[in-house]
Amino acid sequence: MNVTSLLLAQTALTLSSPMIWGIGLGGAGLALRLAPQVAWQKLGIVAGLIGIALIGVALPPLGEMLPQVLFWLMAALAIAASGAAVTSRSAVYAAIWFAVSLLGTAGLFLLQGAQFLGIATIVVYAGAIVVTFLFVLMLAQPEGHSPYDRISWAGFAIPTATIGAALLIGTLIGLFPEFSPVARPEEILHEAHVARLGGELFAKHLVSVEVVGTILLVALVGAIAIVIQGNPRRRTGTRESGTREGATDR
Amino acid sequence: MNEAALLQNYLVVGGLLFGIGVLGFIVRRNMIVMFLSAEMMLQGVSVSAIAFGRYHNDWGGQMLVIFIIAVAAAEAGIALALILMLFHKSGTLDMAFWQDMREDGQPAFIDRGVPEERAEDRVWPKLTQAGIEPEVDREEQLHRSNV
Repeated sequence: MNVTSLLLAQTALTLSSPMIWGIGLGGAGLALRLAPQVAWQKLGIVAGLIGIALIGVALPPLGEMLPQVLFWLMAALAIAASGAAVTSRSAVYAAIWFAVSLLGTAGLFLLQGAQFLGIATIVVYAGAIVVTFLFVLMLAQPEGHSPYDRISWAGFAIPTATIGAALLIGTLIGLFPEFSPVARPEEILHEAHVARLGGELFAKHLVSVEVVGTILLVALVGAIAIVIQGNPRRRTGTRESGTREGATDR
Repeated sequence: MNEAALLQNYLVVGGLLFGIGVLGFIVRRNMIVMFLSAEMMLQGVSVSAIAFGRYHNDWGGQMLVIFIIAVAAAEAGIALALILMLFHKSGTLDMAFWQDMREDGQPAFIDRGVPEERAEDRVWPKLTQAGIEPEVDREEQLHRSNV
């Protein structure tokens, strides 16, 4: 039968809820931010921020003052910064905005009581992965913004992708079931949170830990193999590092 | 605290992060920014997983996120090595450079109307100077150069 009408009947999203307007405005803001005109880009920032505010208003209240304020702050930071990361013209600024977004996500984790993961996100993501990004950027893009960053795919792709993403988010949010209220999660919020987490990790998931360790080792070896493959060792035995010529004339 | 509302709020944030990541992955052409967007999708999934873990009072969500972080680190290593190799071959981070791999008969994508480069496009972000410049000790410099 008609899948669309079935979906529409099931969603909690209607035209009267601020959520759908927030998603729409946020999507329009992202699309405007990606447009080449400077004035539109500024309009896009405003539209995106209003969209985030509308979504925040539509969310169900948490019931306590401090967690509510912290949640709004962290969530707004994470989402606004990720929007900025996706739309900023300079790849360096994109990486920095991504790090800011990670700070927001880490705050959200801490708010959930996931202390170890909040810290691990900052240390591993913002500390290691983003720095590696910046390192590669410095190696690969020595000056200014490139034309492909300024125009992206232009024209057709931006509105299509924005509408697609907005529809995806709307479907995800609209199809939530009714979550029944539960008791306070004693296990997660235990005083010895990190100790419990470690106990769980190394008791129940020991094999997974070993597998992940192996994956990291394989990835390390693989990354080195990929880089070496492009720069074969010179027969002459001179100690030349892999230049661009060396990479292309193999 | 209202646990059901908390879960719902976090799922909305996770969905938004995931959607923004999808958007960036499709729209941007810079390979590094595309990869950043992929990491952003992982972040969205992590937020949802942790929220579900707390709602069900179960460690599974946090375990999953630990493994997501580990695999993301491995993925970052490999992907950046690949990106560096592609950059050495093409001299650009542009994804459209590789459109030669498209199917036969497909029209090529050509840039039209690239906006002018503005003055602020040409500068990198600068770090502000921190602290005061240490005083140069003339004698010590001479001493060091003599050694």
